[in-house]
Amino acid sequence: MKAPQQVLIASGLALIAFTMGFGVWYAIFDEHQTLDAIGASLAGAFVHAAGGDMAAAVVSLENYAALDREYRYEVHAHGHWGMLAIILIIMGLVFQRLGLSPPRGLLLAWVLAGSAALFPLGVLLQIGPLLGAGKVLAVAGSAGMIAGMLVFAYCLWRRPQG
Amino acid sequence: MPHGQAAALEARQPIASSSQRLLAIGGILLIVSGMLLGDIFAIFILHPNNARIGEAMYAAAQLVPLGDAEGIVQHFMAVGGFLENRGTKVAAHSHIIHMGYIALLLAMIQPWVALSPASKRRAAWFYIVPAALLAPSIIAIHYVGKAYSPFEHIGWASIFADFFGACLALAVFIQLLGLWRYARSEGRETLSPAYIGAGNAASRALLLGGLLLLVGGFLYGAALAAYKDFAAAPQEIDILKAIVANAAAAQQSLLDQSFADYGQFLKLRALNIAAHAHINEVGILVLLVSFVQAFVQFSDKTRLRWAQLMVFSAFALPAGILLEIPYGIVGSIIADWFGFMLIVSLLAMMFGMLRHTGADDAAAGGKP
Repeated sequence: MKAPQQVLIASGLALIAFTMGFGVWYAIFDEHQTLDAIGASLAGAFVHAAGGDMAAAVVSLENYAALDREYRYEVHAHGHWGMLAIILIIMGLVFQRLGLSPPRGLLLAWVLAGSAALFPLGVLLQIGPLLGAGKVLAVAGSAGMIAGMLVFAYCLWRRPQG
Repeated sequence: MPHGQAAALEARQPIASSSQRLLAIGGILLIVSGMLLGDIFAIFILHPNNARIGEAMYAAAQLVPLGDAEGIVQHFMAVGGFLENRGTKVAAHSHIIHMGYIALLLAMIQPWVALSPASKRRAAWFYIVPAALLAPSIIAIHYVGKAYSPFEHIGWASIFADFFGACLALAVFIQLLGLWRYARSEGRETLSPAYIGAGNAASRALLLGGLLLLVGGFLYGAALAAYKDFAAAPQEIDILKAIVANAAAAQQSLLDQSFADYGQFLKLRALNIAAHAHINEVGILVLLVSFVQAFVQFSDKTRLRWAQLMVFSAFALPAGILLEIPYGIVGSIIADWFGFMLIVSLLAMMFGMLRHTGADDAAAGGKP
């Protein structure tokens, strides 16, 4: 196994183990509580409206929207870490067919591994006070993954014999 | 058998050792069960549930001008139940397929996992058993609820699901440890699984097609996020505010319009997420299938045709889902047809693999 393959496969496995651990932590300490709060906020909005308190209804709806967004981003990060890790392992398995020089191969592997780790982290950071930094990380991670995969596809395409 | 000898054997054949067989067969069974469960849930639970959720919310809105807070809470408790039923089924479907993908990939990296064959077999079992039990535990969350639970927010089914999830994380970590031992071992053999580097045209077409699908999936996801963040996309909260305000004012026609807008919003969101998810899921499937092309015993031309059909169908399936937005049922038919073509091409490849095993048996003189 070459060094770029080690980077891709090891980081893929590490990301899978990490996102499974994150999923367990999230399910125990946050998910059910967040889901309960989402339901209570939406129902609360209708109950406040029924009581004629429209200002409180709007506050409940805004609370619902914020919690729903938080929930979606957390599930999004968990799911994307897993999917991107699977893709890293697949690319690690076929990396030998690219025919890249060792330094270029290693650079490509690190760009892909780093992007796969940072993109979901950026999504997760957008929940808290680091929204701006989270957006930058998410865009950079997503761009790195797309560029890396395009380079990967180009290298496969130009080497018909593999 | 020492690790080096076993690893050399594993590098020649994808199911040479017991750990590879367990992970590969277990992985395939997990994927098939996940797909089957997805179909059953979609027909009998997901679609009927969507209608029930809409009906319960509409009924709650009708009680707003009457000031019936208790009735509203009852309807929202029903909505919560429907959402939990749907959410746990979707999570089970998605987790079981992903656990299957990971099992197949673990089977492929076995030559590089420097553990004794007995440890590798135990590690494989330690992955497959929790992977098989995770989905039933997730499904049970809705039915078991919080009965006899020592915790306020989670029930026994959740506790078991979390336990199996933790076991899976540990099982993957053990594989990582084996990989680390391989990387650190002195004078290690530079093994390279022969089946991955098949290099035939079909394998290359599938690899390229799968990668382009994934790039397309990422670009689509990025475009969706940009549209949501930077364009004047309709926001769920604005529609919900209109629903609450119209319900409080007893404006029935405006309330109906707001519910129609909400239905349209949810439909667009669901179809866009489905398209994004299917592009990526099918992309990974196409990449995985590229690894077995060395064992698909057809002529090069026939093998390439099946691969091309699979790649074309993999692009057309999510395109059909997107066409549901402007063309409704026509888009569904396109998506279903190319989903069926994907299954046909998978079956064709499976027959090719059966021919390969048959040829191997014949070469061995027909002995088992």
